[in-house]
Amino acid sequence: MTTPALNTDLLLFAAAAAAKVLLFLGGAMGVTALLTLAERKVSALMQDRIGPNRAAIAGLTLNGLFHPVADGLKMLFKEDFRPAAADRLLFALAPVLALAPVLTLFAFIPFGDYVMLFGYQLDLCVADPPLGLFLLLAVSGLSVYGTFLAGWASRSNFALLGALRAAAQMISYEVTLGLTLAGLMMVYGSASLQDIVRAQGALIWGWIPAWGIVTQPFAFVLFLTAAIAANKRTPFDLAEGESEIIGYFMEYSSMRFAAFMFAEFAEMLLIAALCATLFFGGWQVPFLYETGFMLPGGAALELPQWVTALMQTGAFALKTLFFCWLQLLLRWTLPRFRFDQLMSLCWRRLLPLSIANILATGAALLALR
Amino acid sequence: MILTAAIYALAAVAAAATLLMIFQRDLVRSALLMLTALLATAGIYLALSAQALAALQVILYAGAVMTLFVTAIAVAPGAWKDKPPAGRLARLLGLAVPALLLTALLQATAALKLVTVSPEFSETGTLDLAMDLFGPLAWQFELLSLVIVASVVGAVALAMNRRRA
Repeated sequence: MTTPALNTDLLLFAAAAAAKVLLFLGGAMGVTALLTLAERKVSALMQDRIGPNRAAIAGLTLNGLFHPVADGLKMLFKEDFRPAAADRLLFALAPVLALAPVLTLFAFIPFGDYVMLFGYQLDLCVADPPLGLFLLLAVSGLSVYGTFLAGWASRSNFALLGALRAAAQMISYEVTLGLTLAGLMMVYGSASLQDIVRAQGALIWGWIPAWGIVTQPFAFVLFLTAAIAANKRTPFDLAEGESEIIGYFMEYSSMRFAAFMFAEFAEMLLIAALCATLFFGGWQVPFLYETGFMLPGGAALELPQWVTALMQTGAFALKTLFFCWLQLLLRWTLPRFRFDQLMSLCWRRLLPLSIANILATGAALLALR
Repeated sequence: MILTAAIYALAAVAAAATLLMIFQRDLVRSALLMLTALLATAGIYLALSAQALAALQVILYAGAVMTLFVTAIAVAPGAWKDKPPAGRLARLLGLAVPALLLTALLQATAALKLVTVSPEFSETGTLDLAMDLFGPLAWQFELLSLVIVASVVGAVALAMNRRRA
C-alpha cells in the first residue's frame, strides 16, 4: 500500500528524471549538431578557407551558425533510397541500432554534483549505477550491430566489406578500451562514474588534484587512441571514406544516412565527455568544494551552493568542449592508417601496453599501501 | 509492482524471441532474435538488481559472442543463399525433439520455487565481487582462464592452417 506522500515523492522523482533527460540529452544533441558545423569550420581554418557561412534566416548568417539547421532540412527532403535487394526490416533497423547505444550512454555521465531545488537535493546525473563503467562498456559494445547490419542489409558487396572492416576495427579497439578503464577502477576503487569524479576531488600532497590524468596518465593516451579508433574517426576512418574506400552506409541516403553521421558526431561528444569525466576530474574544479573555494594556503572564499553547482557544470562543459576541439584538430592533422597498420597498432601495441598499465598500477598500489 | 511487471514483460520478450529464432530461416535475422533474447535476459537481471550479472551478460553474450556469430554468419557462403524448406520427416523430427526436451525441462524445473524480487534492495559492488573472485572462488576463477588459453590455441591453429593452404 503506498501512501500519498510516497506518491508525491515518486512523481517528483520521475519529473526530475524527465527534466534531466530532456535538458542533458537535448543539450548533447544540440552540441552534436553544432559539432558538424565545427568540423567544417575547423577544416576550413586549417586549410586557409572561410568555411560554411551562407545559410541565413531573414538575411542573418551569424557566420554560418544556421548550417546545421539547413543540413537537417536538406536531409529530411532528400529521397529515401533503398536498394531493391535490401533486407527491408534490417535496413531500417540499422541506423536506429547505430544511434541508440550512443545516446543511451549519455545517461551515465555525471554533469555536476548536485543542486538544492525547493529543499530537494537534485543529483546532476541522469543515472548513476554502481557498476556504471561496466554498463558503459556493455552498451557501447552494442553499437557494432548498427554498423554491421547497415552493410549486411544493403546486400551490396562494397557495403558488406566496409561493414566487416568496421566491425573488426570496433571489436578490436573495444578490448583495449575496456582494459584501460581497469586501471581507473583500481585507483579509485569504484565503477560508478559519479564516485570516480568525486574521488578525483582529493588532493595529492595537499595541492595536486588527484585527477585521472595524474594517477593514470598512460591510460589516458591509450583510452583516447582506442576511443577515437572505436568511433572510426580519422586517422582510423577506414570504415568509410566517402570517395576512396566507400563504407558500410554507402547505400543509405536522407535521414537514415544522417543518423549514421549523427551517431559518429554524438560519439565524438561522448568520448570528449568521458575523457573529461574519467581523466580530467569531470565537474571538479581544483580547490572548489561544496562550500566554496579552499586554497592550500588556508585562504577560503565561501560561495552559495547554486553558484558552486553552476561553476562545476560549467567546468564539465568546458573540459568536454576542449576534447571535442582536440578530436577535430586530430581529424584534420593526421593522415589515415592502412588497415594492417590499424590492426597491428591495436593488437601488438595498445593491447599489451594496456595490460602492462594494469600490472604497473597494481604494483604501484601495492607499493604505496 | 512495476519491477514484477517488467520481469514478466522481459521474460515474454525473451521467450518470444527465442521461439521466433528457431522458426526463422534467415541466419542473420535468427542471430538478431537471439540477441534480443539475450538482451531481455540482461533486462531481467537488472530488474532483479543484479547489475554486475546484467553488465557481464551484455558484454560477453550480447557483445562478444553474438558479434562473433553475426560476423561469422555473414562471411559464411551459406548465409547468402536461401535454402529449400526442410522435408516432412525433418520437420517432424525438428518439432519432436524440442518437445521432448521441453517436457524433460518442465519436469525438472517443476520442483524449483518461483523467483521473485527480494524485498530489500541490494547491489553487488565491484569490491565484494573481487573479494569473492580472488578469495573463496580463486581456484575456479583461475581454472576458467584455461578456456581462454584453449580458444587462443584454437585460433592460432586455425590461422596456421589457413596460412599453409
